Amino acid sequence: MSMNTPRRPLRSIAIPYLLVAPTLILVLMFNVLPAIRTVNDSLYKPARGLNSAGKPPQFVGVQNFQDLFDDSHYMGTRFTRSFRNTIIFALATVGIGVPLGLLLAILLNREQPLLGLWRFAVFYPSLLPLIGAASIWSFIFSDSIGLANAILKSVGHPGLNWLGDRNLVLASVVIVNIWKQAGYFMIFFLAGLQNIPRDLYEAAALDGADSLQQFAYLTLPLLRRTLLFVIVVSFIFAFQTVEQLQALGEGGPADSANLLLYLIFQNISERRNWGYVNAMTIILIGVVLTFTLSNFLLFERDEKDS
Amino acid sequence: MNKTTGILPRLATALKIALAVAFLIPLVFTILVSFRPEAEPVTKGSIFFGSEITLVNYQRALVIAPWSLHYLNSFLFVAGVLLVQLVTVTCAAYAFARLRFFGRDLLLMIILLQLMIPSGVLLVQNFRTINMLGLFDTRIALMIPYWGSAFGVLLLRQTFREIPIELDEAARIDGANLLQVIRHVYVSNAIPAYLAFALVSVSSHWNEFLWPFIITRSEEIRPLTVGLNKLIKTTDQGAFYGQLMAGTLIVITPLVILFVLFQRHFVESFARSGIR
Repeated sequence: MSMNTPRRPLRSIAIPYLLVAPTLILVLMFNVLPAIRTVNDSLYKPARGLNSAGKPPQFVGVQNFQDLFDDSHYMGTRFTRSFRNTIIFALATVGIGVPLGLLLAILLNREQPLLGLWRFAVFYPSLLPLIGAASIWSFIFSDSIGLANAILKSVGHPGLNWLGDRNLVLASVVIVNIWKQAGYFMIFFLAGLQNIPRDLYEAAALDGADSLQQFAYLTLPLLRRTLLFVIVVSFIFAFQTVEQLQALGEGGPADSANLLLYLIFQNISERRNWGYVNAMTIILIGVVLTFTLSNFLLFERDEKDS
Repeated sequence: MNKTTGILPRLATALKIALAVAFLIPLVFTILVSFRPEAEPVTKGSIFFGSEITLVNYQRALVIAPWSLHYLNSFLFVAGVLLVQLVTVTCAAYAFARLRFFGRDLLLMIILLQLMIPSGVLLVQNFRTINMLGLFDTRIALMIPYWGSAFGVLLLRQTFREIPIELDEAARIDGANLLQVIRHVYVSNAIPAYLAFALVSVSSHWNEFLWPFIITRSEEIRPLTVGLNKLIKTTDQGAFYGQLMAGTLIVITPLVILFVLFQRHFVESFARSGIR
């Protein structure tokens, strides 16, 4: 307020705060404060023993984190495997899913007969509940009657133990995730492609550029923003979408395909592990936060440029 | 674009068909297996229809979980989330778009923290909060973490800012109060943004599983995804895949129909939704 405006009545000063309050309180209650409490609780171990329910937790400093990175510790083994799996899962989803999404967008960008049908065919998986998608694939991967093995057997292969073989479960989970998300990534690329002026292509074609050259020198550079955005978003998603494990081997034998958030979920009712659960949540938040922040910085800056 | 019949366009068409078929196969076989006699390998009988077409799987799946109740619960869950969101989001978005007040940018920053620390990863602490509030196993517990939406605030703030301020001023000169201005100037000029937000909100909460699973115990309030989980766990013990596929279809069909009806809106909405 500048000096010469008349004093506003109290009521009108309060209005903006009243309008913002509901959202603000909810975000504080379910995002900000829990995050702070997670930091705090990750430094404690729940009291041990039979009648420990009412006893105060014991301060242990960064012991929980040390245990997590200690491969001989029971939780350390589980954490290390799940964390490594989560990274592999994210990299594989991004590395295969994002280029696939881009390919789908290029194939399904232009007007063509049955466009709606083609787009439906590749986009519908991203609408399904993750657990429904996983349930479908639990049949495809099933040992005896599954489709994947039926196909393998028809070409003379004895078939694979998709959800039981510890070297294979993670790959199976990655396949499901790519199938689920490629169509979703496609949507962003479609939006990006729509923003490229068509006359650029006509000019390039007049200059004698063939389709591949147009893709390499026009489409790809102009989609740079979208591409970055999709990569970051798909990384963030990879760390948060774990429900498929519920139907696809529950983390596999000996956590061979477990993912970080699912490990947290598995331990939520194990009171004695709450210190570890909080420490793992901190690590998870750290990763997600890094990616989201880089997303913000990258695109806030870009928006100011344009 | 160019009508030359080179190798590339034909390759593209072939690729398109191959990919579409690959993506559709799971859905097609889910449907086929749901009508096939239980535990019959796909190689037995006709590859598509098995030795006979049967409804037994559906009858069995219907018995395992009270699906109509789960449907109602899912509906109440997403509707309850969306209705409250529409109010909280509209109010906050208006304040951030058009009002000046001390601490505005700081408060917006705090709200945006939700995008960086999504409530979905804070399972333990939110579980404890709900218990402390005495809300465990209630419908409110399901919905309350989603009632505030930073994504919605961002989306509508942006939309509201593009509405000419003159409309706002004209309405006030005509004697409209704050709520009337918000309703008739802002809300009614931002319907496409609301539709986008609604589609994203509904489809993501309809699919929510971890939170509903943790925070509820009674079947009376559990949504479809948790019902499907029960079916999956039943199947684990005996490989009743026909029944599981029938149940999966019972759960996913409405969303697929919704998508077919609103395809264009879905595509546009999801394109705007970067972060849920």
